[in-house]
Amino acid sequence: MLEDVKYLKFKTYLNTYCPHCRNTFNYERKDEKYIVFKSIYKGEEAELKLSPYLDVFDVESSVEVAENDRLDDLICPKCKKSLIVEEPVCGECGSPVAELIITAFSKLMPFFICLKHGCTWHGLSKADENRVKLKIPRQDMPEQDMKLRVANHGEVPYGYTTELAQLEAGRCLQCKDPKCVKGCPVNVDIPAFISLIRDEKVDDAAKKIKETNMLPAVCGRVCPQESQCEALCILGLRDRPVAIGNLEKFVADYERKMDLVKVPVIKTKLKKKVAVVGSGPAGLTAAADLIQRGYSVTIYEALHEAGGVLVYGIPEFRLPKSIVNFEIDYLKQMGVKIELNCVIGNTITMDELLEHFDAVFIGVGAGLPVFMNIPGETLGNVFSANEYLTRMNLMKAYKFPEYDTPKPKGNKVVVLGGGNVAMDSARTAIRTGSTEVTVVYRRSRQELPARHEEVRHAEEEGVKFMLLTAPVKYIGNDQGILKGLECLRMQLGEPDSSGRRRPIPIEGSNFVINCDVAVVAIGNSSNPILFQTATDIKRNKWGNVEVNPETNQTSKEHVYAGGDIVTGAATVIQAMGAGRVAANAIHKKLSAG
Amino acid sequence: MQAFKNADEILDFAMESEQKAVDFYTELAEKIKNEEMKVIFREFAQEEVGHKAKLMKIKEERIFTIPAERIADLKISDYVDSVVIKPDMSYQEALIVAMNREKAAFNLYTRLAVRTDVPELQSLFRGLAQEESKHKLRFEMEYDEYVLTEN
Repeated sequence: MLEDVKYLKFKTYLNTYCPHCRNTFNYERKDEKYIVFKSIYKGEEAELKLSPYLDVFDVESSVEVAENDRLDDLICPKCKKSLIVEEPVCGECGSPVAELIITAFSKLMPFFICLKHGCTWHGLSKADENRVKLKIPRQDMPEQDMKLRVANHGEVPYGYTTELAQLEAGRCLQCKDPKCVKGCPVNVDIPAFISLIRDEKVDDAAKKIKETNMLPAVCGRVCPQESQCEALCILGLRDRPVAIGNLEKFVADYERKMDLVKVPVIKTKLKKKVAVVGSGPAGLTAAADLIQRGYSVTIYEALHEAGGVLVYGIPEFRLPKSIVNFEIDYLKQMGVKIELNCVIGNTITMDELLEHFDAVFIGVGAGLPVFMNIPGETLGNVFSANEYLTRMNLMKAYKFPEYDTPKPKGNKVVVLGGGNVAMDSARTAIRTGSTEVTVVYRRSRQELPARHEEVRHAEEEGVKFMLLTAPVKYIGNDQGILKGLECLRMQLGEPDSSGRRRPIPIEGSNFVINCDVAVVAIGNSSNPILFQTATDIKRNKWGNVEVNPETNQTSKEHVYAGGDIVTGAATVIQAMGAGRVAANAIHKKLSAG
Repeated sequence: MQAFKNADEILDFAMESEQKAVDFYTELAEKIKNEEMKVIFREFAQEEVGHKAKLMKIKEERIFTIPAERIADLKISDYVDSVVIKPDMSYQEALIVAMNREKAAFNLYTRLAVRTDVPELQSLFRGLAQEESKHKLRFEMEYDEYVLTEN
């Protein structure tokens, strides 16, 4: 009814974007300038709805705006009149802003209002809504300042605020046939959890993700979404895809910070026991799935801390250890036992394990570093990335002598390789006081296997990139300590039958990079220790375990495997997917008698 | 260095070299501990059998000019350290052994081509060198793809 309609005025902290440069900025008005809304609800309800997002004045101070009051400059698509009270310019490029998208209403967003005539068109058709959604730019996560973060080990992105998450969630088109789900190795129901964020049901969004992914806080941080779920997002065809990973991180962090995580009560207790070898993502997932089905589960971990690559490999600034520890505590609370410092294949053999357990899952990852096999590899201060990162992360060498492990002596660090491990090593070196850190990579920037975000972060932090450069020889001083790395310039050859351009050395282009530490991060392969006493587990030429892809069962009865030990180095979520497949198969086998 | 009088002699020598390679890999397959690596070396031996058959065909058909192709040289074998042959070799080491053998054969034919003045023989040596460089490229590409994955 007309008499229920009020006009409210708000101080604005609206997310506005420039249609020219597509940058988002918050346009904050001065005191005397307000955005004035015609309330579409009764006054109090409107205030309640808007207050989390806008600085709302109380209803009493709402003002009446007469029809035809001049509130110019944005054009209402309905009446072709202006939307806003003054002439704003884009905070980034200075161009006039032509539209305003208000994200205040989670259900009605995006919400437009014409301030001149008070007309609204929140009852958008699906097509209209999608058209508008396409105009919302992807929301980047706020990050630690690059100058500050090189001096600490804190996480670089701060994560979304609720407002940013709402805005980003509003970009999702809620496709009927969501391609993103197919891109996720564990088929998280992505549109459903994003829709729950929009409905302000973040706790339900967390439950939705956990139906299929037990480590969302980890995946949201380290999964290469750009080549998985986000790669298939339909929005990516004309703009940037929905930031699914950032939203996943937001949901998981919200759940943890709000203390909403509840340990499930396991009702059925079975007498059968399962051993899990390795406490990385594959092992943790298999353990969680099996304990929830009532099995007794014991994880065997070779190191003194559980988490596998999540604790020894990925640095604190990318994945805080507190998050991994939280997930491991969650498993312990469910009843999973964890035996640390136990190397299966050495401390206990596989056959000995099978005497005590009904099934074994191997999820030991790809922990054996690959070296280039070039002269000088045995010089002092030539490290594998595994060793370097383990020293720095797990053993906290940067806190020596407070911790026992010393940091490698040297200020000029070269990192060989262009993957995420190389970026982690280079960025760790920067944070631990190295004066010059150079990534040496044989191919061009286009082929860098690391995530774009990691490369960007590394460059911002001062890591130098020497591309199309191949190391050919380490040079040592008379004490056998590294003092230089001889390299060759490369050029990319013609595409071969696979379409890939291979790097070819340029004759006589040798040069030397002065350095005192080298970190080799060219790849990893499988660690053979376990298999030295379990020769009946069939492996391929790379040393990876061969499994039945339907069940992840190995050639040895009652033994299953998954994750990097099967596929070679891959992603956290792929390892988790493999852990789940094996857990299902183990359950099927053991419950059948 | 051996002197060759005609194309037949060269091809006989080349076939003999390929047979030596077959024997080398077969013997290695016997010595090696790991089942999967045995399979690999048997596969390498099989590839050498194929090379020998190709040479046999050239000899029978008497077409001594091998069409020149541009074969990429990744030169990985130029800068990797040679490896010691041992019963517990890894696939990476096996690839290095194979690359180095193909490189040695390439070098041999290239040197022989320089040492002869007979154009027909020179062309045959170059052709054989080209074949060996193809074989080397096959191993180097495997090394490039799967060993130097993030490099």
